[in-house]
Amino acid sequence: MKLAIFLALPLLGTTFKQLPPGKEKAVVEASCYACHAADIVVQQRLTEKQWTATVEKMIRWGAEVKDADKAAMIAYLAKHFGPENRFTPIKTQQLRR
Amino acid sequence: MPLDRRTFLRLAATAPLAPAALLAATQPHLLQMNGYPQNAETPLELLTDYITPTSLFFVRSHWIPHTPDLKSWKLTVDDTTFTLAELKKMPPAEATCVLQCAGNGRALHNPIVPGVQWRYGAVGNARWRGVRVRDVLQRAGGIKAEAKHLHLFGSDDPPGKVPPFHRSIELEKALDDCILAWEMNGEPLPAAHGVPLRLIVPGWAGDHWMKWIVRLSPQAQPQTGFYMDTAYRYEGKPLTEIFVKSNITTAPSRAKAGKPEKIAGFAFSGAPDIAKVEVSDDDGATWSAADLDSRHAPHAWRLWSYWWTPRARGTARLFARATDSRGIAQPREAVWNPSGYVYNGWHSVDVEVT
Repeated sequence: MKLAIFLALPLLGTTFKQLPPGKEKAVVEASCYACHAADIVVQQRLTEKQWTATVEKMIRWGAEVKDADKAAMIAYLAKHFGPENRFTPIKTQQLRR
Repeated sequence: MPLDRRTFLRLAATAPLAPAALLAATQPHLLQMNGYPQNAETPLELLTDYITPTSLFFVRSHWIPHTPDLKSWKLTVDDTTFTLAELKKMPPAEATCVLQCAGNGRALHNPIVPGVQWRYGAVGNARWRGVRVRDVLQRAGGIKAEAKHLHLFGSDDPPGKVPPFHRSIELEKALDDCILAWEMNGEPLPAAHGVPLRLIVPGWAGDHWMKWIVRLSPQAQPQTGFYMDTAYRYEGKPLTEIFVKSNITTAPSRAKAGKPEKIAGFAFSGAPDIAKVEVSDDDGATWSAADLDSRHAPHAWRLWSYWWTPRARGTARLFARATDSRGIAQPREAVWNPSGYVYNGWHSVDVEVT
């Protein structure tokens, strides 16, 4: 039984957290998923000011965010992943290749 | 390089693979901090071995690596190249030491800072085997007198306009005790840990332990760029040694007054050894010495244990603190810094005593 449970663990990188619903969800996915999974987003606990700095840093590093989408994206991130956010990591096995 | 659409869809399609609720907390596992690039920490309660099993060892990656083709792989040192077989013919070197991510404990810093929210488990103690950096540099023709910094290059490329993870380390440290390792715990380095070669920097934070190394170059000046001039700095200088720290890995959640219970954990430092670990159950007013395990090597961690007898009913808060071989004691509060590096405040656990 223990072995069966262990084998049920996903390999690192084969499953990841999903973003919460909202019309900005697709915008965040399109801008961020090219380089990293949502895990790194949904564990943050940042103020709107910190999210603004983070999004601007990502744009400097190549994230494609339309000017028209930027404010709403920051508001969505600050609403869901502010200082009160709680994060539970996925239990996983190390990916072996 | 960004994920292509096919790769992304494949990753997305596998998302519902394993409901977390099915997984018992005690099964061997890592805690995924990011699916891609791979970042995962070890649950603190599983860090009970002197040698951390490779399958449980934390993984830190800046981006998705291009795993080298091992048949054509070469290490370049200025004008000289080495195959892996050539490196393995040189005198071997081995070290057992702690690897801790610079950001381990970032989630515990207050005020909160952005970045991977590591808690306790971006650390492990492993046996590394390879060749001394000084032997490789000598074999490559020696070191010019003006060289003070060893520039390091890996085979991983960042996506988009992200700056490359180019680094350098003081040559004095590299020549002292650094190893280019191809083995971790008796096995070839896994892909996630830098196959075929990573730098081992005993006592220093993980940002120096470059993975997937392909090129070294001794230079007069340090490397420049984001990962030297902005990231991995502490109080205005490059972060080097890790700070003295102890964690509690083993403690009961409930205990009975008067009945001894075993408390255990690990302790390490940028200093070569730990002098003592102490436990307090009265908010640090008094401390009792824990027993240090005899197993040790320079910059390896020390396991420790302590038989604690609860004195009164109620919630008891146990603290552990380490003091290293230089006499530096772990502080109650870690020094906050904007990137959340090297958290080392006293660790505590609560025990319900009945």
